[in-house]
Amino acid sequence: MSRAERRPPGLYHRVVVYLLFLILLAPLLGTFVYSIATSWSATILPDGLTYKWYVALWSDPRFLRAFGQSLLVCVGALALSVVLILPLLFVVHYHFPRLDALMNILILLPFAVPPVVSSVGLLQLYGSGPLAMVGTPWILIGCYFTVALPFMYRAITNNLQAINLVDLMDAAQLLGANTFQAAFLVVLPNLRKGLMIALLLSFSFLFGEFVFANLLVGTRYETLQVYLNNMRNSSGHFNSALVISYFLFVLLLTWAANRLNKDKD
Amino acid sequence: MSFVSVENLQKNYGSTAVFSDINCEIHKGEFVTLLGPSGCGKSTLLRCIAGLTSVTSGRIFLDGKDLVPVSPQKRGIGMVFQSYALFPNMNVEQNVAFGLRMQKVSADEMKQRVAEVLKLVELNEFAARYPHQMSGGQCQRVALARSLVTRPRLLLLDEPLSALDARIRKHLREQIRAIQQELGLTTIFVTHDQEEALTMSDRIFLMNQGRIVQSGDAETLYTAPVDAFAAGFIGNYNLLEADAASRLMQRPINSRVAIRPEAIQLSLTGSLEGEVRSHSLLGNVIRYRVEARGVELVVDVLNRSASDLHPKGQRVTLHIEASALCEVA
Repeated sequence: MSRAERRPPGLYHRVVVYLLFLILLAPLLGTFVYSIATSWSATILPDGLTYKWYVALWSDPRFLRAFGQSLLVCVGALALSVVLILPLLFVVHYHFPRLDALMNILILLPFAVPPVVSSVGLLQLYGSGPLAMVGTPWILIGCYFTVALPFMYRAITNNLQAINLVDLMDAAQLLGANTFQAAFLVVLPNLRKGLMIALLLSFSFLFGEFVFANLLVGTRYETLQVYLNNMRNSSGHFNSALVISYFLFVLLLTWAANRLNKDKD
Repeated sequence: MSFVSVENLQKNYGSTAVFSDINCEIHKGEFVTLLGPSGCGKSTLLRCIAGLTSVTSGRIFLDGKDLVPVSPQKRGIGMVFQSYALFPNMNVEQNVAFGLRMQKVSADEMKQRVAEVLKLVELNEFAARYPHQMSGGQCQRVALARSLVTRPRLLLLDEPLSALDARIRKHLREQIRAIQQELGLTTIFVTHDQEEALTMSDRIFLMNQGRIVQSGDAETLYTAPVDAFAAGFIGNYNLLEADAASRLMQRPINSRVAIRPEAIQLSLTGSLEGEVRSHSLLGNVIRYRVEARGVELVVDVLNRSASDLHPKGQRVTLHIEASALCEVA
């Protein structure tokens, strides 16, 4: 049966879907309304509306610093992963395709070990000695790199498999390109979409990461999530503004990732 | 002196040899086909000539110069792949111009040469299209144009028609041959399709299990196979052991023989009697399986009219010229 012939969804189905939406959106909506309320305690509706919480938030230097530091750590980790993973993928798929199976196991390791457990290991290893970097952004960048690895590896691998890497490289080389020219002019432009999607998804994920950030660095290099945690005892309106700001930022990124994903078809 | 010359070429992967002791000579302007079943080493041999696969030992000369130490970029060889290998991020014009861009050819000359070669493959209207907007046959013509634009000394075609459907394949094979002759371009073509090999080539190298079994023009390969493999791979030869052949021909024959199905004539009178076991219609040819003196033979007869058809079980007589018997190793 073709899609056009299908009957419009019945009332029951629509009710289920809308209800689900409502359940999922209700807390968000509540938070949003709370974040723009002057005060809202013993009444059904807030006493008045204001954007002062947002002003307060976006003029709080501590928040801005945490936001900036989160950005920096995420961008740093992703830059590191691009620099390391792209050449790695290239070498694996062009020269040693058999290693792909091994890589698929390796990239699952960051998922196999719970963050709390691996943080303890990382604290032991990098807490003292020649590689003491607990409490610095460097350990977070390194740690986030391993978290982003599976996303990046899978997304780019799918992209690579779609373009017939070996033949493209061979063709470019026979036409006079050296390996670097072939990689930059022919392979890389065709990986742009996979790479962008992987980056945006990893970014949204890392931006919301709390366990590693709190255990490895804490307040010594406060990221957004750690800041949110530390502010939990301040005004609820202020916190709501924080959550909504964070949510909108991630929503924007996810939407961008989705847009890129759709273009592929 | 030959233009391309392969001497004692050997390629091993670990301890297994893909091919060993390959020797062949190709003349300037010749269209040569490497024909063989999959896994016979023909594509690997082509990739070795292109420089995309390293050789274990041996030498490859192009115009008197040993290619083995030369990188693929500097060999001056053009290649067309089965998968087209067009660059998806570039349009037709950019794809074709890529080789010239690498050679740092001036913009004016580039434009002119790209236009020329696109005209040659009849795609000048498609310069702005991207590969994903084109059919397989068009893509392969772009790939051909891309490999021709740098004016290679040698053109390699690695099963370029295998991914295309039958009608386009036939048309493109004529087009490739015409362009090759027009440019006088020395070409090595790899295929597993005997019809392609027979119709396109000046000379065919028949390969099996990493060695060249037989070489020669289409006529020689088709009419005088050297061994059972050649007879089985080209045409649909009837292969008979010595005793079966002796019984059939009623005279002593000391070696295995091959008989082409179309070299056997069917009639209603004659000395060699047989019975039709089955028949199948191949279009312009009817293929019979006939049993005569305990030997089953495949016989091809031109399909002239429906009344000619011999039904299953009908007694027929066969006529086999002595010259149709081809002794094979």
